[in-house]
Amino acid sequence: MLATVFTKTFNDRWRGMAIAVGSLIVGLLLAMWVYSGFEASMFNDLPEVFRSLMNIPENADAAAMSVSVFYGFYGALTLAGMAIAMGAASIAGEERAGTFGLLLGNPKSRTHVLVAKAASMVALSALAIVVLWGAAYIVAAVLGVDLGGLNVVAYAVHLFLNTLFYGMLALALSAWTGSRSLAIGVPTGLMIVGFIGVGIFPLIEGWENVGKVLPWHYLDGSHPMTNGVSIGHLLVLLGASILLGATALLGINRRDLRSQAVGTTLLDRLRESPMTRKIVDRLAGSMRVSHIWIKTVSEHQGLLIVTAYVMFLIMGVMMGPLYALMDTALFQYADQLPEELWAFVGSAGSGMSTPEGFYEVETFGMTLPAAVMVVAIVIGSRGLAGEEANRTMGLLLANPIKRRTVVLEKTYAMIALAFMVGIATWTGVWIGSMLGGLGLNPANIAAASLLGTMVGLVFGSLALLLSAVAGRTRVAVFGTIGIALAMFLINSISILNDAVESIASFTPFDYYLSNEPLTNGMAWDNLAILTVSFVVLVTAAVFSFDRRDLRQSN
Amino acid sequence: MTDRIAIHTAGLTKHYGDFPALVDLNLDVEKGEIFGFLGPNGAGKTTMIRTILDEIRPTKGIATLLGMDSHQQSVEIRDHIGYVPGDLAMYPNLTGRDTITYFANLRGGVDWAFVESLADRLDADLSKKVGDLSSGNRQKVGLIQAFMNKPDLLIMDEPSSGLDPLVQREFQKMMHEVAADGRTVFLSSHTLSEVQRAADRVGIIRHGKLIAVEGVADLRSKAIRTVNLYFDEPVVASVFEPLPGVRSVEVENHHVMLSFDGQMETLLKVAAERYSLLDISTHEADLEEIFLTYYEEVSA
Repeated sequence: MLATVFTKTFNDRWRGMAIAVGSLIVGLLLAMWVYSGFEASMFNDLPEVFRSLMNIPENADAAAMSVSVFYGFYGALTLAGMAIAMGAASIAGEERAGTFGLLLGNPKSRTHVLVAKAASMVALSALAIVVLWGAAYIVAAVLGVDLGGLNVVAYAVHLFLNTLFYGMLALALSAWTGSRSLAIGVPTGLMIVGFIGVGIFPLIEGWENVGKVLPWHYLDGSHPMTNGVSIGHLLVLLGASILLGATALLGINRRDLRSQAVGTTLLDRLRESPMTRKIVDRLAGSMRVSHIWIKTVSEHQGLLIVTAYVMFLIMGVMMGPLYALMDTALFQYADQLPEELWAFVGSAGSGMSTPEGFYEVETFGMTLPAAVMVVAIVIGSRGLAGEEANRTMGLLLANPIKRRTVVLEKTYAMIALAFMVGIATWTGVWIGSMLGGLGLNPANIAAASLLGTMVGLVFGSLALLLSAVAGRTRVAVFGTIGIALAMFLINSISILNDAVESIASFTPFDYYLSNEPLTNGMAWDNLAILTVSFVVLVTAAVFSFDRRDLRQSN
Repeated sequence: MTDRIAIHTAGLTKHYGDFPALVDLNLDVEKGEIFGFLGPNGAGKTTMIRTILDEIRPTKGIATLLGMDSHQQSVEIRDHIGYVPGDLAMYPNLTGRDTITYFANLRGGVDWAFVESLADRLDADLSKKVGDLSSGNRQKVGLIQAFMNKPDLLIMDEPSSGLDPLVQREFQKMMHEVAADGRTVFLSSHTLSEVQRAADRVGIIRHGKLIAVEGVADLRSKAIRTVNLYFDEPVVASVFEPLPGVRSVEVENHHVMLSFDGQMETLLKVAAERYSLLDISTHEADLEEIFLTYYEEVSA
């Protein structure tokens, strides 16, 4: 598997993709099992416009909904995310690791390397989608479910080209800039904005066509699962991907390669400016390294800025005025949807016809815990295992500090960053509510923000524990994400199935929106349970890290 | 007795699964000495250092540093040591000065005037980001952070890698100053010439086992010498190989190079009887040759 750049890249990435695809198939199996017990007629009375928006085929078997939800929602986001990671790692990742120069020390051109890596990304994405496509039919056959009029093949083709587009965008940015964070951040931001935008813009009178400028529109805008392939939409995605591939080739052949993994942060730039040097020198210099936790926070300032920006401006401030512009009559239909359906997108089912319900679905349901989780899991996994992988932990512990101090300082950093995201969400939603005249109670917003932050922190502390036990970043990241997805799924389907309901109380999600904090305020017992869970996991991390050998590298 | 010992290990053993990385290591390093720890790659040098620094825990045996238990009192120990890990890695996004400041904050009580003097001596640029530095310049930052608290015990794993000869010379001086001050240097290396210049005593480790601890002078006095013989005709190695004291023979046409610790009279007699000897030169073997000799003996 290491014979060529193509096969090595494939070899490096197939496990992650296999885990992602496997998780999606398991989720699909569970969802189809639960949904297969439903009455098929439950969606038939919905208006056409709403069925279309929700991707519900005409006369759909309720079980077919699980394919729509799992592949159209989780599948599309997961595969695009994996492609972005591959595209960003292909050039910028090799530069960061210092291996790109080594690679080019062989008689291979930059073009050769880039094409091989792009081909590997395309092949792996295609393989993942073929497996998902086949799994849909196999799972349906096993459970005796009729997929009816669902055109899974057409959707798979759209899914493939959508995945390809985001991967190629990341590749182009990676090739032009050599910055992995930029190559991950920009496509991810575009993906999130697109995902949210194509759902919301059609609900606003006069804005129906705005979503068409977003690439995500071409994944599902023509509803391929019900209408079959749209050649026009596919050509847009394919053309853009080819253009981005060509741009990547141009970029990698034009610029100097980076020699080291040195990123330039906002503070670094301000430090270079004569106007701000004096104050920033203190902030970026001596203050930044005054404590382990402050240094850790500083190292993740880019991640914090992006996450807080998305939660404050897009998910907070913008949602209020958007809600005020929407045709709330549509939400009357939405409220008729059974709570089981809302459960699948992380809502407690309070309906979208109230501002509280709208914010709960859009901003708080999945988004806030996911945003906090991203930050907390990064700190939790990198804080210990990352320092070991970078071979800096030995140097750090050569100073007169206890191992538990390192774990606790990393925990403080995690708390600080998570609360900054939570506070950004709280202020953004509050401002959005005021701008839209929605009248949300600030104390209730704070309650929902705090609970969402704590859910994210519980998973961050789980990542910290796995990092402390295993000393491997991948174990901590994939382990935590896998457990989080499983728990989210268990919590989502708990109201549909008695057997699952009994174990849902073991998931942090059960203590988040179950009390509808945006309407009813803080559920202190829920907060206490989440806080105790966090403390227990951090304590376990402290003891685990104290007792094992440090790793020299991953 | 213990007052004089900087590092003491007794039966120190570390297994990774079934693999014995360190086997029953008994070693005493005295205060005020520069102790060289020699061995090829994978011999167990770094494992030994990581064990005594409590990065990894011994399978059995104990270690004390400056009279303190390496595990139970690891934090107190680290208050008194300076450490340069092998394959040094630091935080690429911090400048050298930020890096030093970070460790100085964690440690406390660092004299910045002394840091500046160390930077001057090593010609280190602390204004650049560590990730932008060459490996040698990065190593300088690592050395400064190890020396900056004037530690009682300096533990360094391949510390001079990447340093240019001028800086290496300054670094040697710095080590001798530490020893002259009554403090201790534990220098792990496979660069024998470095240890030869700096160390008072040398420990040789192979396959996790300490196979010898000798003073550098004692090692040299083992009288292993390199002897070069020049003849007026081509010679064959088989003439010299059976002679007592011949450890290795290399023949190149008219020239023979021997590693030899036997009777010179016997050697010269055989050489003169078989060939016409034109010239002879001999010199004391360096540690490289002694080192190789030890390994040959142990592996034989």
